Amino acid sequence: MKEIFKITVSLTAVCVVASLILGFVYAKTEHARKLNEEKTEQQTIQGLLGYGAGEKIPSDLKVYPVYRYVITSDKGKTLLGYVLPIKDNKVVLAEMDLSGNPLKIIPITVEPSALSDKAKRDNAVNAVLPKGSKSLYAQTVFVADMGGKRLGYVVPGVTQGFKSFIKLMVSLNPDFTVTGVAVTSAEEDPGLGAEIQKSFFRNQFVGKTIELLKKLKVVKEPLPPNYAAALDPAKAKAKGLTPEQVKEIKEKHLKDNIYALTGATISSRAMTNGVVSTVKKFVYRLDKLNEAIKKEQLSVAF
Amino acid sequence: MNRNLKLIWNGLIPENPIFRLALSMCPAVAVTTSVENGLMLGLAVVFVQVFSSCTVSIFKSFIHPRIRIPAYVIVIALWVTVIDMILPVISPDVYKKVELFVKLIVVFAIIISRLELFASKEPLVPSFFDGMGMGFGFLFGLCLIGAIREFFGTGQLLGYDILGFNPLLIMVLPAGGFFVIGFIMATFNWFEYKITGKIPTSGGAH
Repeated sequence: MKEIFKITVSLTAVCVVASLILGFVYAKTEHARKLNEEKTEQQTIQGLLGYGAGEKIPSDLKVYPVYRYVITSDKGKTLLGYVLPIKDNKVVLAEMDLSGNPLKIIPITVEPSALSDKAKRDNAVNAVLPKGSKSLYAQTVFVADMGGKRLGYVVPGVTQGFKSFIKLMVSLNPDFTVTGVAVTSAEEDPGLGAEIQKSFFRNQFVGKTIELLKKLKVVKEPLPPNYAAALDPAKAKAKGLTPEQVKEIKEKHLKDNIYALTGATISSRAMTNGVVSTVKKFVYRLDKLNEAIKKEQLSVAF
Repeated sequence: MNRNLKLIWNGLIPENPIFRLALSMCPAVAVTTSVENGLMLGLAVVFVQVFSSCTVSIFKSFIHPRIRIPAYVIVIALWVTVIDMILPVISPDVYKKVELFVKLIVVFAIIISRLELFASKEPLVPSFFDGMGMGFGFLFGLCLIGAIREFFGTGQLLGYDILGFNPLLIMVLPAGGFFVIGFIMATFNWFEYKITGKIPTSGGAH
């Protein structure tokens, strides 16, 4: 009896000390980690828009985030709410029902710069909703403008990978052709599934139009060597390919399906499905959103 | 030789975790498709092994012997989580590369076996050097397997193209890991047989 008491106390003490240390470290590092994550996200978006590390970002490039919320109204109906930036540095919450009919436009009293903080944004959205409604944050898409003209969109997506979820970002040009794919977090096996992050795999999606994406499949065939070289900028340089040659090879293979990674067919399929469904959903939603903006004659900032 | 140096040497060759003790074979097969992967996992193991060994060695008198195993697991998990939280703050670029590996370490057999066999009986300084030895032994093993598999499987070393073609694709697939570890283990045993004249006894694989 005495011993079991001792054991319990000893194990509890170990656990308490361990959790105290963890709590302390978490509290000390949380802020810096969040900042780093935000910075990485910014860099990923800029990289996808064609302004990677080391390149100067033009001053007239503007990226507007659009936040989508799922709102359960006080009558139990499910609605969609878009937090949109409008002219004169103001923000509105545009409500619409699931088939895309606009319902209400509610102005939100919050600085656009404070919107990137999820807790502040959630509070601002909840504050303007009638009592009894609930809102749930769903997704952020980024609309990029360059000098008043639409440059493209950056859309995040999630897909079920081999072990856990793969988070990715797809950038599209105004005609919904893929211009870039980035993997923001994945826990695929190193050396096998983790190769989805390599440029020779990611760049296979670049240039695919929405029509091509709809029919896109994964094939278990070896990647043609010159196509592999053209897809990887470092390899293309090592092989001495000129930009024209790279373009020509890429054009020749534009209608090809996605070549599966060796030993990682599941991860390759997951990525392909993820990219395709992300783009499809985004195109559908943007269409509805644009319709609603037109109907309500909203003067959005982008 | 100084005892501390001997402990490090012991972990590198005579009691190498992979080739002699045959512990933590799953990660040794799973992630060693290239030298870089092996190096990253190896470095992460060195840190966790050294910190855990030191912690257990300092607090060994407080840990009740009948609950030592759960207590050790908590210590290892604690250090793994702390590294997982601190590294992205100190150096996000390095973290991006080792992120996948750090979380795997909690369940490595080699770490808990060193805590049980060494750190729970010895004072701080030898435990530190034993942790270093075992960690670097593991790192050495992973890099060696990774180099062989990367070279034969993809024709590259450290990501640089050397051959320009794939001589043996099977080497980067899981089956290749078993082949390479088996061959290296046999070589180690052969050397020991030549030097000592005794047939080596094996460890238990985990």
